[in-house]
Amino acid sequence: MIGLRPTLAGRVCLAAFATLILLFLALPIVVIVVTSFGNDAFGSFPPHSWTLGWYKQLFADGSKWPAALALSALVAALTTVFSLILGVTAATALVRSELPLRTAVYGLVLAPLVIPQVVIALGLFLLFEPASMLGSPIAIALGHTVLASPIAVMILMATLKGIDERLEDAAASMGAGRLTVARRITFPLAMPGLVAAAVFSFITSFDEFFVSQFLSSVDTVTLPVQVFNVLQYDVDPSVTAVSALLIAVAVVALALVGVVRRLGGSGRQDGLLPTETTVGLPAGNET
Amino acid sequence: MSMAGSALATQPQPQSQPAPTATPGRMSRLRRALAERRTRYGLLNAAPVVVYLLILFVYPIFSTLLLSLKGEEGGWTLHWYADAFQGANLEILLTTLRISAETSLLSLVIGFLLANAVTRLKPLWAGLVMLVVIVPHFISALVRTYGWIILLGEHGVVNNVLTDLHIPGAPFQLLYNEIGVVIGTTSVMLPYTVLLLYAVMRAVDRRLLAAAASMGAGRITIFRRVYLPLVAPGLVNAGVLCFILCLGYYLTPALMGGPKQTMVASLIDDQVMKQNQWNGASALGIILLLLTFAGLLLLRLLKSAGEAYRKRGTAS
Repeated sequence: MIGLRPTLAGRVCLAAFATLILLFLALPIVVIVVTSFGNDAFGSFPPHSWTLGWYKQLFADGSKWPAALALSALVAALTTVFSLILGVTAATALVRSELPLRTAVYGLVLAPLVIPQVVIALGLFLLFEPASMLGSPIAIALGHTVLASPIAVMILMATLKGIDERLEDAAASMGAGRLTVARRITFPLAMPGLVAAAVFSFITSFDEFFVSQFLSSVDTVTLPVQVFNVLQYDVDPSVTAVSALLIAVAVVALALVGVVRRLGGSGRQDGLLPTETTVGLPAGNET
Repeated sequence: MSMAGSALATQPQPQSQPAPTATPGRMSRLRRALAERRTRYGLLNAAPVVVYLLILFVYPIFSTLLLSLKGEEGGWTLHWYADAFQGANLEILLTTLRISAETSLLSLVIGFLLANAVTRLKPLWAGLVMLVVIVPHFISALVRTYGWIILLGEHGVVNNVLTDLHIPGAPFQLLYNEIGVVIGTTSVMLPYTVLLLYAVMRAVDRRLLAAAASMGAGRITIFRRVYLPLVAPGLVNAGVLCFILCLGYYLTPALMGGPKQTMVASLIDDQVMKQNQWNGASALGIILLLLTFAGLLLLRLLKSAGEAYRKRGTAS
């Protein structure tokens, strides 16, 4: 099939089919962005007239959205800090040192990616409920870090592997201490990876639903949980605007990672985004 | 922190040529000291993540397991598991397996066709298509599900298009039933399968296909005898992983399904949040966990079986 002469009919079929699948992936996102500017929130598509009303409503008096947004941002920031600390140390241990039981450690780090999130969330609920920490931003961030740190570790491992160890050795042989090597050599080279790890930790937490749902209380609700509650119980047309904002945050974050890779990367890896490591695919072949 | 010595320790191999002044004994002692230092450095750096995950990941799952085995008046019991396999709960369990199977099959077929199409595109186009696949993956699944709710409604875009095309029976009921759940969940799972399959397909040596064609094999034969066996491990991998991820999936079935599409994750949520039934929820969680382990074990076994088969093939 591949590598043979493609027929014209085959090509047209292929193009039509691929377009259909891409629409399947993109349409739910496009429809929300467009609808959020439309006058009839749940109505026809494309909308008949345009408005910014839903966005204004988000920040009107008595709206529950600003509090949820602030909580989500706080939790995501804490999660980013936690998972960067865990990620840098773990990646250093796994890539740049002799580690007994290395496979076991690596397996433990990746495990949260394949274990059903409901099981993780339930376990965390059982842990934090007796400590009456439900609804605490710290508890939610600690929970999100379980899900975000594997991604940070994978990105940072790939980054460290891409840095030529001989550069560090060369600096050390010329008398640079370990801290100087880290600050002057490793850190600048690892910058794009660090930004990617931070950004993906942030979005993982910002969009996370299940753990937040189990760990939130009546007054402390993260943005995704609030969106879910609105979709399931209330009717609040401004949820479309919130969803569009969530899309915007994700797109800006991805663009940031792309730009930093372009600027900072020395063209070692191609592609706009670090795909395999960031989608959270458990790389089973890796040891 | 000692500087020069520990920096030296990051060297992969000590020099093969011993320094003329060093005796062999001193050299090996130095080597051992360096290795020990490297190990200590590794343990020190691995400690935070290991401790963190033991406290916030392993221990909670362990306590879930204990809770699922505890009776209401103390003592040990399997009563919660018996409950999970009875009546409405059993039905929910079977629904979960059914929807996961339908979704992974559909994502596998669509993912196969798309990934295959991408391998035939020019690099620029392939990059753009993969961008359209990957970017949605990082947009909240909740938001994408909401997008599908808007699209699939009775007067949504999909039904309007179908009505305009005079498809008989339009508008269809596409929400709050299994069609809606499978469509929504598939769109969430598709990036995984496309990425996994694309990685495998890109690694296929095209010269093998050309060789088969040069020896007179037709398109279908080449596909069946050469291409499919080469990508089969990837297909199995993607299918099983997709199935595992679906098992514990909650958002889309909860928002786009009707009462007949309740999945185990919804049931767990309901038991914890509304019925305060933690033991039963724990048992269901452990069942999900065991199903996940079974899937991962299956992958491991298939992988080693495939490797053994290939080794025998090259040896003979």
